[in-house]
Amino acid sequence: MKTIIYTCPYVPAEWIAAHGLHPFRLSLDHTEPDSALARTEGLCPFVRCFIGEVMNNTRADGVIVTTVCDQMRRAFDILVRKCQLPAFLMNVPSTWQSFESQRLYIDELKRLGRFLTKLGGNSPSNNALAKVMLEYDSARKAILAAREYLSARRYAEAIASLYRDGPDKTPDSPTSTESSVDGIHLAIIGGPLMKQDFDLFDVIEQSGGRVVLDATETGERGLCAPFDRRRLHDEPLMELADAYFIGINDASRRPNSGLYKWLQQKIASRTVQGIIFRRYVWCDLWHAEVQRLKDWSNLPVLDIDTGGDNDNERQRTANRIRAFLEMLQ
Amino acid sequence: MNNIPRRITLEEWDLRYEQLKKSGIYQPAYGGPLRRHVEDGDRRLLKLRYDNSAAALRLWNFLLTEEYRLHEARAAGRKIVGTMKDLGTVPVMAYCLENLVAFYPDGAWWIPCVMELGAGLLEIADSLGIDESFCPVRAMLGAFITKAHFPIPDMLVCSVGATCDDFSAIAQRLNGLGQPIFWWEIPHRRSPEPDETAVNLPGGFSAPKCQVEFVKSQLERIKVALEELAGDKLTEQKLSAGIRTANLVRRHLAGLRRLAFTAELCPVPALEMLIAEMLAIHFCSDRQETINVLKELLDEETSRVRAGKGVLDAGAARIFWVNPVADLQVMNLLEDCGGRICGTEYLFTHALDEIPEDLPPLEALAQMALADPMVGSSIDRAQRICTDIRRFGSEAVLISRIPGASHCALEGRVIGEIVQEKFDIPVLEIEVPPVTDSMRPTVRTRLEALIETVKAHRYKLKI
Repeated sequence: MKTIIYTCPYVPAEWIAAHGLHPFRLSLDHTEPDSALARTEGLCPFVRCFIGEVMNNTRADGVIVTTVCDQMRRAFDILVRKCQLPAFLMNVPSTWQSFESQRLYIDELKRLGRFLTKLGGNSPSNNALAKVMLEYDSARKAILAAREYLSARRYAEAIASLYRDGPDKTPDSPTSTESSVDGIHLAIIGGPLMKQDFDLFDVIEQSGGRVVLDATETGERGLCAPFDRRRLHDEPLMELADAYFIGINDASRRPNSGLYKWLQQKIASRTVQGIIFRRYVWCDLWHAEVQRLKDWSNLPVLDIDTGGDNDNERQRTANRIRAFLEMLQ
Repeated sequence: MNNIPRRITLEEWDLRYEQLKKSGIYQPAYGGPLRRHVEDGDRRLLKLRYDNSAAALRLWNFLLTEEYRLHEARAAGRKIVGTMKDLGTVPVMAYCLENLVAFYPDGAWWIPCVMELGAGLLEIADSLGIDESFCPVRAMLGAFITKAHFPIPDMLVCSVGATCDDFSAIAQRLNGLGQPIFWWEIPHRRSPEPDETAVNLPGGFSAPKCQVEFVKSQLERIKVALEELAGDKLTEQKLSAGIRTANLVRRHLAGLRRLAFTAELCPVPALEMLIAEMLAIHFCSDRQETINVLKELLDEETSRVRAGKGVLDAGAARIFWVNPVADLQVMNLLEDCGGRICGTEYLFTHALDEIPEDLPPLEALAQMALADPMVGSSIDRAQRICTDIRRFGSEAVLISRIPGASHCALEGRVIGEIVQEKFDIPVLEIEVPPVTDSMRPTVRTRLEALIETVKAHRYKLKI
């Protein structure tokens, strides 16, 4: 089966899978940046690693990039010039409240469908799409239900596994319960985490905390809304579009009031006591939210920026998390 | 009175102003000596070099009195529209309604330069979590807080989507502080697919018809909002008339650019040309006066070219400049080093190209908005730069990075590579912060090296 790689949560894995292709959401590796870009001033480390991963990827048959962030949009320019892999730039509108923006997102899904068909995919029937959607929806529900019984790391890994391996092949089965460590309730908020960043969950637990809300892009915040089962059968594409386009709240939305509404509800229901804000250096969309979040939440916020991976930075981050949790105890 | 064109200091302008006044030059209501703006805190003016014509005096005075015009407009009961990011589209619509005046709060990005950081706007942005890792346009946030540099608009309209993240994030921060914003979507311009109807846009790009239709739907939303604000109908006739007037501005600019970039001797300095180009975006809050100012500058330029006079030495290296500079003094510096501007791409070429007059007006404006170089790929942008390099005979490309701007990290590489694939000319990328004083020797050395390279290349071609 041909593999299509992507990172953006607004790309519905179900749509790719329904075309008979394997959606593979990349877990980026700090250690695989594109060397030609290593010293590029002002470049977000996540984008740098994404370009490196795509350039070096030998298993993929196509890549999907979105316009959600400006640097990713421009990363597409680099890929089409330097990389042989067929690439698709999906326009994901920043505005979301107007009918026209929602329509644009659906049109982009249809255009993506044509790209997938050209790569060897089959245009899915409504029934085929609904079946795939149901599988993913059930898997998501199972993962969400298991949250309280899993460590934060295992929970994050289960989400990553769903979008890497598919709904039927998650190695970290969320049904297997484990004793989750209790501690000070924390939320982790920000853009996507990279592979090595999952160590953060361990550091937090070892320091006496527990992430009860993974509001990163690769965590719970990046999951689409649950599907309306009846509409799923009648109008599966419309339901898919709504669940993703309206259901995922992100800092990039304009206005991004939906993100704060979502956070407010989650922070209250999970009795969050402190926030770890994780962002990449040069990621303006998230960086601009730090101070607003501090003013808005009335909770202690630890702002952790990262410029890439190195031992000093890892140690510094671990120390800061320990100090933050000591303060909260 | 000595009327030889040259670049002069502000001190020299004091004397020159008195001479011009005695000679009875026409001065509009906002006229006067340039030095008075220094007293308002615009200290950078003390360090700039200016064109010595009466037309340049009028241009500078027009630019530096915009705030007063906005306050006057409000006092006269006109509504103020703050248009953000689209750089040229919404103002064309707003000025079609008599009781609206539009301006770009984005323009505050030059306040730290002009006031040599004296306004404290960047410190305010810092305090709001928008630090120096963002583009200097963050000064806008400070200007909204202090309310000292422009009246707070009655309505704010901001384009998002295919825009730089800095601006979008800063606008959202402003919105989060309680400032209502009318957001509209500008999608990333893409090439039409084989089964799609293609539309040729002003400036040479193309896009699928569905994208033009989408942008048109966004402009229709804006039209309704402007009508509500103005309490007046924005009819097709009014829009068409507005487009014709905007095109008059653009034709004057096209004439100015053609002569400035192709004349044997450079007739108008880079700094005045940069300001003239900026007027096309929002008419500096007075559309008719923009036409008058540009007309006078074009007349001056034409007479200089006819007389074989210029402000720079013959043989100045012909540089194509990409992106606007945060520090205006760098435009002087290029000329001090032996260069001249022969081609520009200051992020808003779509505001310089004529808007089609043979289409329904909103469709024409939608086409123009989609022709924005920042809305499409860096590859498209590089192609347009290449077209203009050929047209203006540029001998080198200088890409001026805007500190912290999200687009600058990757676009320079793409533009530089494409230019070098097509032309055997040097490409230099420099970063220009709002005040370059501390790094002036470095910037100077790099500019000198570029110009030496151009001249060495000329020598090589001769032998």
